[in-house]
Amino acid sequence: MDSGEDAAQRPLTLDIAGVGNEEPEAHAPSEVAAISSQPNSTDVLFPEESIDLDAEAFISPQDDSAASGSMMDKLNDQMMESVLISDSPNSEEDDVPIDSLLEQGEDKESLDSKEPEEEKKEDVKEEKTEDMVTANQAADVGAPTPDSPKGQEEKVEVAKATAKEEPIPVCTIFSHGMQPKTLVPDGFQPTLVKSPSFSSGTNETPNKLAPLVCQPSPSLSKFFTDNGTVNPASDFFDSFTTSSSFISVSNPNAESPKAVTPSECQLSSGSSTVPSAEHQDAGTPSAYFSIGPQDSTPKPVAGPAEPAATMTTLQAVFSGSDDPFASALSLSEVDKRYDAWLPSEETRRVLISVATQQVNPVYVERDRLSMPGLKFDNLQGDAVKDLMLRFLGDQAAMKRQVLTANSVEQNFLGLKQLISTKNWRAAVDLTGRLLTAHGQGYGKSGQPTSHTTDSLQLWFVRLALLVKLNLFQNAELEFEPFGNLDQPDVYYEYYPTVYPARRGSMVPFSMRVLHAELPQYLNKPQESLDRLHSMRSVCEKILTNLEEGLAEDGSMMTLTQENRQASIQLWRSRLCRVMYSMANCLLMMKDYILAVETYHSIIQYEPQQRVQLLSGIGRIFLQIGDIRTAEKYFQEVEKTCEEKGTGPAQDTSVLMNKAFVYLSQNNYAEAHTCFSSILKIDPKNPVANNNAAVCLLYLGRLKESLGQLESLVQQDPALYLHESVLFNLTTMYELESSRSMQKKQALLEAVACREGDSFNTQCLKLV
Amino acid sequence: MKAKVHSGLSQHKMDVNQAKQEHLLALKVMRLTKPTLFTNMPVTCEDRDLPGDLFGRLMREDPSTIKGAETLMLGEMLTLPQNFGNIFLGETFSSYISVHNDSNQVVKDILVKADLQTSSQRLNLSASNSAVAELKPECCIDDVIHHEVKEIGTHILVCAVSYTTQSGDKLYFRKFFKFQVLKPLDVKTKFYNAETDEVFLEAQIQNITTSPMFMEKVSLEPSMMYNVTELNTVASGKECSESTFGKMLYLQPMDTRQYLYCLKPKPEFAEKAGVIKGVTVIGKLDIVWKTNLGERGRLQTSQLQRMAPGYGDVRLSLEFIPDTVNLEEPFDITCKITNCSERTMDLLLEMCNTRSVHWCGVSGRQLGKLSPSGSLAIPLKLLSSVQGLQSISGLRLTDTFLKRTYEYDDIAQVCVVCPYLSPES
Repeated sequence: MDSGEDAAQRPLTLDIAGVGNEEPEAHAPSEVAAISSQPNSTDVLFPEESIDLDAEAFISPQDDSAASGSMMDKLNDQMMESVLISDSPNSEEDDVPIDSLLEQGEDKESLDSKEPEEEKKEDVKEEKTEDMVTANQAADVGAPTPDSPKGQEEKVEVAKATAKEEPIPVCTIFSHGMQPKTLVPDGFQPTLVKSPSFSSGTNETPNKLAPLVCQPSPSLSKFFTDNGTVNPASDFFDSFTTSSSFISVSNPNAESPKAVTPSECQLSSGSSTVPSAEHQDAGTPSAYFSIGPQDSTPKPVAGPAEPAATMTTLQAVFSGSDDPFASALSLSEVDKRYDAWLPSEETRRVLISVATQQVNPVYVERDRLSMPGLKFDNLQGDAVKDLMLRFLGDQAAMKRQVLTANSVEQNFLGLKQLISTKNWRAAVDLTGRLLTAHGQGYGKSGQPTSHTTDSLQLWFVRLALLVKLNLFQNAELEFEPFGNLDQPDVYYEYYPTVYPARRGSMVPFSMRVLHAELPQYLNKPQESLDRLHSMRSVCEKILTNLEEGLAEDGSMMTLTQENRQASIQLWRSRLCRVMYSMANCLLMMKDYILAVETYHSIIQYEPQQRVQLLSGIGRIFLQIGDIRTAEKYFQEVEKTCEEKGTGPAQDTSVLMNKAFVYLSQNNYAEAHTCFSSILKIDPKNPVANNNAAVCLLYLGRLKESLGQLESLVQQDPALYLHESVLFNLTTMYELESSRSMQKKQALLEAVACREGDSFNTQCLKLV
Repeated sequence: MKAKVHSGLSQHKMDVNQAKQEHLLALKVMRLTKPTLFTNMPVTCEDRDLPGDLFGRLMREDPSTIKGAETLMLGEMLTLPQNFGNIFLGETFSSYISVHNDSNQVVKDILVKADLQTSSQRLNLSASNSAVAELKPECCIDDVIHHEVKEIGTHILVCAVSYTTQSGDKLYFRKFFKFQVLKPLDVKTKFYNAETDEVFLEAQIQNITTSPMFMEKVSLEPSMMYNVTELNTVASGKECSESTFGKMLYLQPMDTRQYLYCLKPKPEFAEKAGVIKGVTVIGKLDIVWKTNLGERGRLQTSQLQRMAPGYGDVRLSLEFIPDTVNLEEPFDITCKITNCSERTMDLLLEMCNTRSVHWCGVSGRQLGKLSPSGSLAIPLKLLSSVQGLQSISGLRLTDTFLKRTYEYDDIAQVCVVCPYLSPES
């Protein structure tokens, strides 16, 4: 066993020449040469030399999470990271080209996605500090830092250290000088902490204390603080790192929707007549697209009469075969139930005055109106195709066929088609076109407009898809003109002529949920919680109204018993949805106590989800590391399942929970058995299949694990071309051989055949 | 390394080409931290909304959602670790080592060795040190190594592979993987000496990692002289006791928690109070924590030491004293006098009245000879003439052998109340 001082004298390490070796390119050849030039190399196969431990060259992968400002970025790009351990700079010895590509992934600098220049700087820094390290270490051991609050104890340690011969490494944990003084109570002693295994066997008296005291070097303590403050979050989200690769494409020149080509117009005209406020004769689509209705409107604010015209035409246009709004009037009861909302007092006053015709909506202040417009033009693009072009060539990329906004009908039907084929980027584009047609196109934000049921539904779909695509900034930008979704013009009462006798919110409830959830993905979870809480109180108020025999909005309208029950049911489920969002948000904030409480309280609203919720709470506890409490919840799950009677679904949940407990006890073999027994009940269970494969890897059975995942992806791509599965698979490819690139490209081809343009290509780890 | 070649070091590039001796085997290493649970992002709509049940269907078809509760964010799908992460002192470093035959020839006598180099030592972590006779193309040698990390600072995992090609060449290559072991906890301790021989230990434990930490066990292992009582639970009437930290036993990053322990000297040591003198070893804290999916860590503090309060040659402690007494009413206390010196003493007790405390009985009484470590219990009577919290002072012991006087003031406090309460109350 070499002591640190010995290491200093070894040739490989400390002198300046040795420092050169820190750079792999210089190091590798010399080393290889040395070995191959030794004819009698059999006895020196494993030269035992020590490597200098360079305390200054401190790049832990922790840094990369520091770079990630927002929690959501992490979620966003959860499939980004290479998994392999960071390779030290002086490590490269084999230089297979593909390998070197991979090594790049292994290298910690590339984990941080920094530029090569930085890496170089790092090396230079290493060189400079290299020779100082031993001196520093010696100084550290020899003289306790004077500013340390526990100089005395250190001295004791050090004295013993020099007295003792045999090195028993013990690390002292000292409070650092940089801790706020006020927080350090008088008389507290920093306490030596070491791994218990060291003490075993030795007689534990203070005199036997360790000779070698590792103190945090200045850089070390700096490192601690830096990470403590900059990077407060690192648990399971931690591994998801930054750098969003999907940057929205906004076209600043797209003032007028000239992007639309005549051919597109023909497509759009195929199924729909095109509405326009002024141009009722606008049967020609080009006219419709090139001149938005508002462009030619001379008045600054749309009066009620004009929207009337627009509305009717628009509704005529948008009404697809399964449009629930087509027969809206006949469904007034249902409408009322779904549209109910409680506006703020101020908004309510405006709405009342509009209804009583005291105020013409024309005179409502501008800043009380929602004036949305597209903030970016085109998302276009298909990351899968880009990757194919790059790795598989033009020919292969040509084969990639996905639907685009041009290839479907320019209406709700086409939109649905794009969504269901997972071409969400194209779908966003299509919503943009339809909204442009409504006069809320690019650059129209801040211009007076009028809303319809359909326009708000379009906005909802667009924003929801942006969130699904992890384009949170874009969604926030476009949400912004809507304010808090409580402006008078998003209520039906604001348009008494267009929607006579219709009351309530035009903004769909789901859009409010989306609006409330959005900030948490942008690292503003408190804002999300605030919005969710106010939604919750509205839901509760409406429920109270209903239970007290009033209508949803608290008016004295009489409801039939049937309608009242339906309404209570609806609002309960909505309340429940809000609670779910709150719990999810709290979970992201790592406020586990409140998250668990909230999930638990959902059970009373959704008793049929009891098993899933209790299991979910159990998993939260496993994530924290509290296995005992997790087991308590899992037992409750078992009890519930027994009451329900045994069925495959119940057995699956119980087994799944058991497997997670085994996993948390490091018992991968039993965990694997549990996952496998789920597969006996439900051979197609993708979670069990994937998890069983993961267990195999931890058991050191890489090839089997790979084989299992690979065959799953081949046999049932619909289920297994999921980013989590693909991420696991590519990670194992990287671990398996230097040829992972080819295998990943094969996966890309599989993805190309099935997935739409919204596929998150990062999980393939091709770039 | 590609990144460096890009950085424009043409000289290095040349070196790379020169050294381009392709190895037949490839070595890959991956740290096996616990897998993580996939979280999905629920985006929902209602049936009446434009997409109808489309969003719902998409979520139901997504294999990573919880069936029947798709809006639950935390899924069940395990994903492999996505970066190296952090490793902390006391945790176990696990790593997958895979040696793969990339070539199309059979390779013989493969020896894979994994060593961990720290600043002070070098450990062999390989499960087996015997060579593998042969490795066919596209096959691999797998090893999962585990090591409980016992040092802070830089660690280097050194993986060495030696093998023989078909043509009989013996080849060898190594790879180095460097990582830093960080400090997970900040522990501070403070001792409080009680009137009796009891010692209270307050330990502040701060989580200085960046993830929540479940404190599975924080216990004090006392040294042989003490018995310990943990004061970290609140007895809630019944058998079950509740932790003072509430329901959740986890520590958020940078949170600190205070643990309190009461240490009582074992009777055999307590009787000879003189034994516990100067610096004494109290015991050590044993801390076990868990993080994501049961990732475990364990640390012990060094032996905690305390400077026992000095009692001089003679120690006077109180065996019995009431907490509340009536004004101007005599009450009893019992003093214990212990000879802490190495010689026999002949003691004389004097009692001096103070402004509030009046001693009853004879002052200047002979207590007789007291041998080293011997002790005497003396009942005394006194009364207080002032209400409120009163300090008991004024005892004087004189060793007649050495003509040395020891003064004992502020021995204890009693609360003096007036028994004749005003009639209205």
